[in-house]
Amino acid sequence: MLQCHVKGCDANNFPLELQEVVLEQEEAEFNEDFLKNMLGKLEYEALVATSLKLDIHDLPATMPEDAAYNDEFLQILHRVILETHIKSGKMVCPNCQHIYNIRDGIPNMLLAEHEV
Amino acid sequence: MSQKNPLHIPSPFRVEAIDMTPEQKEQEYVHNVYQPWPVVEEFLKTMPPGFVGADVGCGNGKYIGVNPKLFMVGSDSICGERGHEAMVCDGLALPYRPEFFDFAISIAVIHHFISPERRIAAIEEILRVVRVGGRVLIFVWALEQTGKRDFDKNVQDVFVPWAMPKKAEPKKDKTKSRPQGVKRKDKKKDLPSLEGDNVTEPTNRLVTNDNAGQQHSMTEGITSAASTPSTTTSTQTPGVEEQIPEQKELAAPVYNRYYHLFQKGELEDLVLKTNKASILQQGYDRDNWWCILEKISNA
Repeated sequence: MLQCHVKGCDANNFPLELQEVVLEQEEAEFNEDFLKNMLGKLEYEALVATSLKLDIHDLPATMPEDAAYNDEFLQILHRVILETHIKSGKMVCPNCQHIYNIRDGIPNMLLAEHEV
Repeated sequence: MSQKNPLHIPSPFRVEAIDMTPEQKEQEYVHNVYQPWPVVEEFLKTMPPGFVGADVGCGNGKYIGVNPKLFMVGSDSICGERGHEAMVCDGLALPYRPEFFDFAISIAVIHHFISPERRIAAIEEILRVVRVGGRVLIFVWALEQTGKRDFDKNVQDVFVPWAMPKKAEPKKDKTKSRPQGVKRKDKKKDLPSLEGDNVTEPTNRLVTNDNAGQQHSMTEGITSAASTPSTTTSTQTPGVEEQIPEQKELAAPVYNRYYHLFQKGELEDLVLKTNKASILQQGYDRDNWWCILEKISNA
């Protein structure tokens, strides 16, 4: 969902690379409509790659063709995208190396004046 | 009323009203901070379940939980306190991928941008992150408002004094609903305007910066970070503190915030100038002009 938005940084600016991450699991209500809606929005490859870096190996390498009706898959997706929270860490732009900090679960996406 | 909310955090986003009784102030405070406006609530409740939305300038996040079947992401600085998805960012450069969202809301945000160009750019930025066919609800302050404030109808660009609660006290005793600066300002009778002498408080440096062209769009998120409780102060950038060093020691700093008061039809004109949206609905509510747009094109 997030991309680097430093001025002029418009290629290879996604996904932001997570570093020094502290994760937290928090239960969330299963929302099937949301998950199905997300299937069309996700850059699945990026999600898998990012998850692997966080040592989350639950997602299959490719999205199942029947994803929208695959309850097992939707449950995994739910766990990864809704219940896994980044408590703290950094997101680094793969292109310009800008670092966005995450503290108390809130990413700071503000840019300096010259970067806007 | 304030005790009803377990997470009653004084919000610096509350615009200080002039010449109001304490009861009116209390009412307005609760209204502004915690009660969702009916038009916004209705908009959110009619969104299909599972839709993903952006609340651009979400303040304390009062709209994020209105419809639990939606997934909403707020940007500003203090909505994280209620446990919602949130981040700190700038309104002219949203950190989202294009067309990610099914809808967006922008409540009381666009009127803080200082020129027509910036206001259009802010609308365009919201449209960028919404998919074609997606809807956007925008609220802006009206020049014609007849409620508690009586603005000079010839002056659209004004500074409105605005009290910030004391800097971060981790204690929960911040249950007082009103920022402490309220009394100090009761003396003031007139709204300063751009043309007039707006230096009514020693703390309007942010505004001065704005005039110098350094305006931070969506200053809500930025300026508030300096005074919100500790869970979110950590999200601010160092530069923010530098802008307002002298406020840190004051009990309740008062800012004059810039507002562009919209005339009837003005918001719609801006929207149509983007050529990216059509207007589905429009109206006037609670001293604001509002409209619902549908994104029709990316180009």
